[in-house]
Amino acid sequence: MTPAPVSDVAHRRVSRAHALARVVVAAGACCAIALAPIPAASAKRDHQTASSGGASSATSTSSQTTSASTTGASAPPASSTTTPTTSVPATSPARRHGEPQHGGHASGTSGTTGTSGTSGTSATTGTSGTTGTAGTSGTSGSRGTSGAGGGREAGTKGKAHRGSSRAGAGAGAGAGAGAAKQAQGAGAGGEGSADGSGEGDEAGEGGGSQVEALTANGSRKTKPGKGHHKESAGGTHQKETGKQGKGKAKEKTEPKGEASGATPPVLTEAPPAETLATPAPAPTPAPVVATTLVTPTPLTRAPAAGLSTPVQIFHRPRAVRHRSRARADALVRGSAPLVSVAAPIAGRRSSAVSRGAERRRARPVHGGGGGRVSRLVRTITRIVDVVPGGVRALIAGLLALALALAVRSGVSGLRARRLARQRRELLDDVGLLQAALLPESPERLGPVGTSVAYRPAAGPAAGGDFYDVFALEDGQLAVILGDVSGHGREALPHTALVRFTLRAYLEAGLSPRDALQTAGAVLERQLGDVFATVVVAIYEPSGRKLTYSCAGHPPPLVLGAQPGARTLSPVTVCAAPPIGMGMRTGTRQTVVSLPGYARVCFYTDGVTEARVGAELFGAGRLADELEALGPEASADALLERVAARADARPDDMAACVLSVPGEDDAPLVLTEELEVDRAQAGGARVESFLRACGIGREDVGEVIGSACETAGRAGTVVLEVSAGGGRPRVAMHRDHVAHLHVRRAQAEVVL
Amino acid sequence: MRSRSDNTDIAPAQGIAPAQGASFAVERRELDARTSVIAVTGELDLTTAPQLKWTLIDALEEGHSSLVVDLSETTFMDSTALGVLVGVNRGLDAGARLTIVCSRASLLRIFELSGVDGMFEINATLEHALATPDRRAAQAS
Repeated sequence: MTPAPVSDVAHRRVSRAHALARVVVAAGACCAIALAPIPAASAKRDHQTASSGGASSATSTSSQTTSASTTGASAPPASSTTTPTTSVPATSPARRHGEPQHGGHASGTSGTTGTSGTSGTSATTGTSGTTGTAGTSGTSGSRGTSGAGGGREAGTKGKAHRGSSRAGAGAGAGAGAGAAKQAQGAGAGGEGSADGSGEGDEAGEGGGSQVEALTANGSRKTKPGKGHHKESAGGTHQKETGKQGKGKAKEKTEPKGEASGATPPVLTEAPPAETLATPAPAPTPAPVVATTLVTPTPLTRAPAAGLSTPVQIFHRPRAVRHRSRARADALVRGSAPLVSVAAPIAGRRSSAVSRGAERRRARPVHGGGGGRVSRLVRTITRIVDVVPGGVRALIAGLLALALALAVRSGVSGLRARRLARQRRELLDDVGLLQAALLPESPERLGPVGTSVAYRPAAGPAAGGDFYDVFALEDGQLAVILGDVSGHGREALPHTALVRFTLRAYLEAGLSPRDALQTAGAVLERQLGDVFATVVVAIYEPSGRKLTYSCAGHPPPLVLGAQPGARTLSPVTVCAAPPIGMGMRTGTRQTVVSLPGYARVCFYTDGVTEARVGAELFGAGRLADELEALGPEASADALLERVAARADARPDDMAACVLSVPGEDDAPLVLTEELEVDRAQAGGARVESFLRACGIGREDVGEVIGSACETAGRAGTVVLEVSAGGGRPRVAMHRDHVAHLHVRRAQAEVVL
Repeated sequence: MRSRSDNTDIAPAQGIAPAQGASFAVERRELDARTSVIAVTGELDLTTAPQLKWTLIDALEEGHSSLVVDLSETTFMDSTALGVLVGVNRGLDAGARLTIVCSRASLLRIFELSGVDGMFEINATLEHALATPDRRAAQAS
């Protein structure tokens, strides 16, 4: 902008200059500490900017007044004394909180000594106190003092509390201002200023505000002006920070740096700072400030006076501030030469604080070789300087990469979670339906112990098995166990359909064979390509008779009480086909007498088709396992043993075990039934069935002839072979499921 | 004659040691324009039955009306395979027929237990199965 004096550097520094200006202003404020105006502004800024600073400033403000009065007394700048005082305190307090570190350093550096000590005390004490001190120290080491005191105190607090940067900035500003003033005032000012700038943070905040007004104009312009400008800039920055608030904290820091940087130029610069400060406050004051600045020691006081004006300016609207800034800038320009040197340094320091400012300042910083700047500021500045280059791009790239990776991992994580959730839901659904198909059975139904178990296949064949064990009227017990072709979710509806259809017919009073036959006819249309193998059984406790009928399903194992007794061997010839294969089913039925203790095991083919080595598990091994389990045999234990013994289970396993109490009487097959229609009556199947049932060859022909005759009249005939005990007898009767035929007949009539 | 072989080493199910012979194969031979012999080696179960199904369907789609399924080298057959045979048999057009060659007792037992043995014409040997239609044709003529 106005880097008239210093060309490029000036530009860069301009920003810094602002900061510096602020610093200077702050310094001025500090110097002015005595200057009443600062307090108010600083107070405001403090509040806005750094909490600590703000608080302190606020306090300071109030206290300022008081202290101001005090200070004022102490501080020569009588006119605005009060104000100045206040301002000073404000600064110091601010520093205490936020700036502490810087302040500490600054103070230390500046060694404003006496002053600092005082200020320190004051700072510690209270804003007002500080102010007072500052005021006291005022002219001479006011800055240093205030900075030192505040700095230390602030250092303790400030560091811990807010970022040293902000605080530092503010402090720096304040300190800087103070330092500038002091510096100007005292030769030591250089160090003092530096420290002061650090401390200035708080002050910066507090005083910064004031300074801001002043600096604003001056500081920005200050950039051009090196030393002074810097200070002024610092002040400005501080001001800015104060104005901007928290975010600007960094900037403030910069200002501090500048301030500090300004400090080196100290005397010369200091004056500018004041000048700036002055300008800011009141356009007119600018010159005054300059004057003040010029006069080192007196500066303090003089500045104070000047400051007082600035303070007022602060109170003024922004417009005024701008004016003041403009003036300040002008001033700065004038002072530019000096400032320029300091500016660079300050720039480095300040750069750390605010990026924007950093950039501008950073360059200058590099250029500038000022070693007086506080180490912290330098370090920060350097870092900042370095960052802007390729490193920034690199960092940005890394950040982008990290972000991309984070997003990716987040997305994949979401996906994984969604999949897991869907799987859970599916399993829940299947489990729910499976539970409906595989209900728990009561431990005992009447005298019969019952148990059921199901083990899904380890492979893709899971699903399709079903069972049901329930009590019928008259104390009868019914068992349904089957396997629907197809697996997984799609098999479930058919499974449920088959199970509940069969149960309904059993509940309605049909025998197992009739139930299967009826269900087969009904379900044929509904199963589509699906078919089901089923075994249906009814146990009648009173007669100790078990009646079962299979549809493409293996018959149950029936074990007696005697150990080593082989299982009952029912006739399996002419077994009925599964439901849904398009063939008439429910054509076979077996009645078994269980006079003594017996175990009846219903199972699906998944059990017998489990593999042991290269062989099928088979019904033989299953009977062995059932036998080995003894009287306590349960379906679950049985499947447990099968699973333990088998090498692979490609299909589901379902089992139902009935334990019928009794003595040692062995089970016995009472009757085998076969229903055949007219076409089948004379076929080879009937003959093989009769022979399997023990009918002598000589009798088979007669039976078949009779069967054909009966079937010819009724359409179907049921051959009932009673094989129990002695010579098998054959009885023939008509189909039990008459109602179905009636219905069909009616349909035919209608057609 | 066309011959198609699906010779895979697919284990019938995980961890299952093949009952006899390590591999499953479905081989189709065309004896004439109407007759195909489908020889199944290995185990017919949930995982291998589909191959038999598609082979049979291919033959039918190519106009072969006489299918002879040779199960002489088949070591095991479960309800899924039975379902395939029954399903194809039910879907045959009028005039088409499905004949089974099987002499293994374990398989015959499966046919018997499942109640579908009355549905098919089961021959002990391939020669007998192939002779049958010729005889019928001769009788018809």
